[in-house]
Amino acid sequence: MNIARKLCTIHPSYVSRNLYRKFRFSAINYDTSTATQPQVQEEKFDFEDLKVIERTERRKAKIEPFMKDIFTSIFNRDMLAYPEILNKEETESMEARINAITNIFTDPKKTAEDRKKTLKGTRMYAAPVSLTRNGLASNVTESIRFLEAIASDFELGQEISDHWVGLLALQSGLAQEQYTMIIDDLITGDKPISLAIKERLAERISQADFRTAAEMDSQGIWRISGEKVCRYSNGYILVLASIEASRLKGFLIHPDAAGVNADGTFVTFAKTPATPLDMVSEVDLAHILGLSRLYAAVLSRCRLTSAIRSVVEYTRPRAFAGKPLADLTTIQSTIGNALIDIYACESAEYFTAGLLDGYVDPDAELEVAMCRNFITNHGLTTMLNLLSIPALEKEEECKKLLDDMRHVATRGESLDSVNMFIALNGIHHAGKVMASEVKQIRNPLMHPAFIFKKVLANRHQEKDDPKLNLYLSENLHPSLKQPSEQLEYCVLRMRFACETLMGRHGVKVATAYTELSRLAEAATEILVMTAVLARASRSYCIGLRNAETEMKLAACFVERTRDRVKKLIKDIDDGEYLNLDHFTVQFGRKMLDTNSSLVEKPTARTFW
Amino acid sequence: MANKILGNILRTRPSFMLFKRWEGSKSEKRVTVHDPFYSQPQKNKQSYLEVIKMFEGQDTRRRGHVEFIYAALARMREFGVQKDLEVYKALVDVLPKGKLIPRNIFQAEFMHYPKQQQCAIDLLEQMEDNKVMPDSELEQMLLNIFGSRGIPLRKFWRMLYWMPKFRNLSPWYLPEELPNDTIALARLAIERITSVDPDIKVEIWETEEIEASLDKTWIVSAQSESQKILLAEQPLDDPLIVKGPFNVYLREQVVSYFLLIGKTRPEIKDDSDPDDVSNIKKPLGIPGVVGSSQVPVVRQTVHEQDDGTIVSVCATGTSSRDSLLSWIRLLEKHGNPLLSSIPVIFTLTAPPSEMSIPETQPVKDRSKVEEIAS
Repeated sequence: MNIARKLCTIHPSYVSRNLYRKFRFSAINYDTSTATQPQVQEEKFDFEDLKVIERTERRKAKIEPFMKDIFTSIFNRDMLAYPEILNKEETESMEARINAITNIFTDPKKTAEDRKKTLKGTRMYAAPVSLTRNGLASNVTESIRFLEAIASDFELGQEISDHWVGLLALQSGLAQEQYTMIIDDLITGDKPISLAIKERLAERISQADFRTAAEMDSQGIWRISGEKVCRYSNGYILVLASIEASRLKGFLIHPDAAGVNADGTFVTFAKTPATPLDMVSEVDLAHILGLSRLYAAVLSRCRLTSAIRSVVEYTRPRAFAGKPLADLTTIQSTIGNALIDIYACESAEYFTAGLLDGYVDPDAELEVAMCRNFITNHGLTTMLNLLSIPALEKEEECKKLLDDMRHVATRGESLDSVNMFIALNGIHHAGKVMASEVKQIRNPLMHPAFIFKKVLANRHQEKDDPKLNLYLSENLHPSLKQPSEQLEYCVLRMRFACETLMGRHGVKVATAYTELSRLAEAATEILVMTAVLARASRSYCIGLRNAETEMKLAACFVERTRDRVKKLIKDIDDGEYLNLDHFTVQFGRKMLDTNSSLVEKPTARTFW
Repeated sequence: MANKILGNILRTRPSFMLFKRWEGSKSEKRVTVHDPFYSQPQKNKQSYLEVIKMFEGQDTRRRGHVEFIYAALARMREFGVQKDLEVYKALVDVLPKGKLIPRNIFQAEFMHYPKQQQCAIDLLEQMEDNKVMPDSELEQMLLNIFGSRGIPLRKFWRMLYWMPKFRNLSPWYLPEELPNDTIALARLAIERITSVDPDIKVEIWETEEIEASLDKTWIVSAQSESQKILLAEQPLDDPLIVKGPFNVYLREQVVSYFLLIGKTRPEIKDDSDPDDVSNIKKPLGIPGVVGSSQVPVVRQTVHEQDDGTIVSVCATGTSSRDSLLSWIRLLEKHGNPLLSSIPVIFTLTAPPSEMSIPETQPVKDRSKVEEIAS
């Protein structure tokens, strides 16, 4: 009986392939042949002015969105080849610039003024601007490499990352003439662009969530009124404002414009004249501004790196019980854990940058958000663990590191809103694919045959033991077989999780916030696991220095993360009563209502 | 069950309980009725305890103690001591120690001294009815009187388990003793019914602030910020309605309150198929942009009910129509300017002269009112 079922379920076309897999004829590799194909080079010339050649763009053909597909358990195995975007010349020129920056930034004698001067000298303020406009035309991979070097000065790091995002938005939003008029002023670095997007939360029920509005006056000038959360440094400001009630549009406010009033972290606008970014649609603007998430992730990671350095500096010269303090295994393990987080985050960032730079018309907004989500989620805890080593001895430095981390983790948006963005996008995509299935699941009595089939098909998932049929290990180094199977398990559980959620809530899944944030976290971990495995495998295969450490880091990370994902998806499957959401939500609700401690003190009695 | 039947048979009716004494001359053998509780000039705890002391001192054998306890239980309310644990303990103390403890298995099984045990159970029952929480000293006394197998002790243990649970069953906490001050009581009542919105502010006003008012009394009014906004958005041609009085009970006390009701916004209408997940709404994804730039014009808050939007709640000292009129004027004065231009209809179901709380004692100290108000 069992044999018959096995034979019947195997599709004939897979028989031969599975046979090869069974006997490990590794040379038979159907799918990954494209990954090793030479890259197609598309050269772009500016025929208007043949003297100046724009940077060559080498992009592969458009692919399906990677992480969105993960929500339906579809895994593009080409992604396991870690992206290699830069060629030799590009890498060399980039390294030269980074060396120049690092030399100044790591020198404690240099002042903030010197550092800023270096940035101007290396044309960092013009990094994303095209070569023809006297910029560097750097892509995302280069930008985050630059930002890593700059991030040792936290303030400058924040300033320049906002500036880059602003430049990109202007590049696609302004008409050519307008852009030409201001670009020279922008790339000097004297008046960097700050982003003003986030607003205070509404304080009355009659207030809208997004209140800054732009109106055109009688002379045809757009005027902006409202208040924004913004780090204003007397330069240009890129403001997002609503027009015609529900549409959003970006506006550029020039330095010294009328009606701008800065107060701490808030900036108010009172009928401030602004230039509209007409040429870019809302969706494209969202993609461009979304890049700030990637930069925030880089900044957070760099904070963590400096925390490790600080802890190492503290630990090395100290002793405990007649032995060096560094011999304590607890300290070693804390630092090791932090290193795993940093390695994972770094892999995910460059992986995402590779997606953005390596493909035509990339749809990687989810991946960008996930990079940020990962480090925000883990960074603060890891930072606290690290800083508990020097405890109160390096008070000022620890305070600064922690505060910077907290600031960058909540900068622009909170963890919850990133989570919601990821989960809702994923579930939107999964909903499209699984709509008819979910409809049948939600009306089981109308489709009894389907339900029986579903029960049979899901029997492995219900047991939390899906059949591993993605064969990811074929695209990785053989010694990563076990971790790759763990990743495979996580990927295969995602479709089941989405199906469960949509089957349970229907359209209202959009408001099941606690469950959605679990889904978002699980998806984030999967992206990071993929990036980590791909990177370690690549490093080991090409024989990078310390590649074996990378392999171990990757294996550790995947091993640990798989349990997290397993737990998250099990919680989704269990529902609100078993995962205790129902109760925690109730407690929270009661606290919010009463603002008391809810329970009596342990010394209280009812009778004597 | 058997206990209950037995109890009914054994229960002595307290109304028949009289103290009988032989009259002065021994030859006539006439019986006279003497009620020591009746003859007390002042009916308070002190005199009640004195009567018990007197009974204990009268006769070392304490004849008729069961009857005495029943009679004493029946008089508690008269002396105002029905909620006093000390008094119950004094009554239990009347029972003899040691004598009633069963000495063998048969005695223990077949309700040794049934009348005495039933009397103690009735006493405990009365405590329970009056919500008096027993303490461990009473447990010790019952143990000394009836032994560890006595039914009164079992009753006591059950009381200790259940009474705290029932006492804390209500989600609205009330202090052990309700305040005697009517304003404070009204404030408690209004706080209870407005607890749906934690943001609510309860204020105490005097109608004297309004010159045209006839009734000089107080008003406990509650309104939250969101109610203010809902009131400010009321259409001018649609009148607001004052409805009431409704009752809210605080233990034995009852407080009447009134509602100011306006027009409600339409309910959210969603005709889309709840099972169709092919196009779930997703956010635009600009970092920092949450929510929308428009507020939806549908029912959103807890104040918007099917029969209208409750924009304010009050209780007044007299519950009269005039005091409610003053309430509307005071609301207008305290941050609701729209009330000057919007008509208000009074639909009061009870006679307007009825008092909100039977005012047993007028508020003597006005400064106290101010203190509460602040």
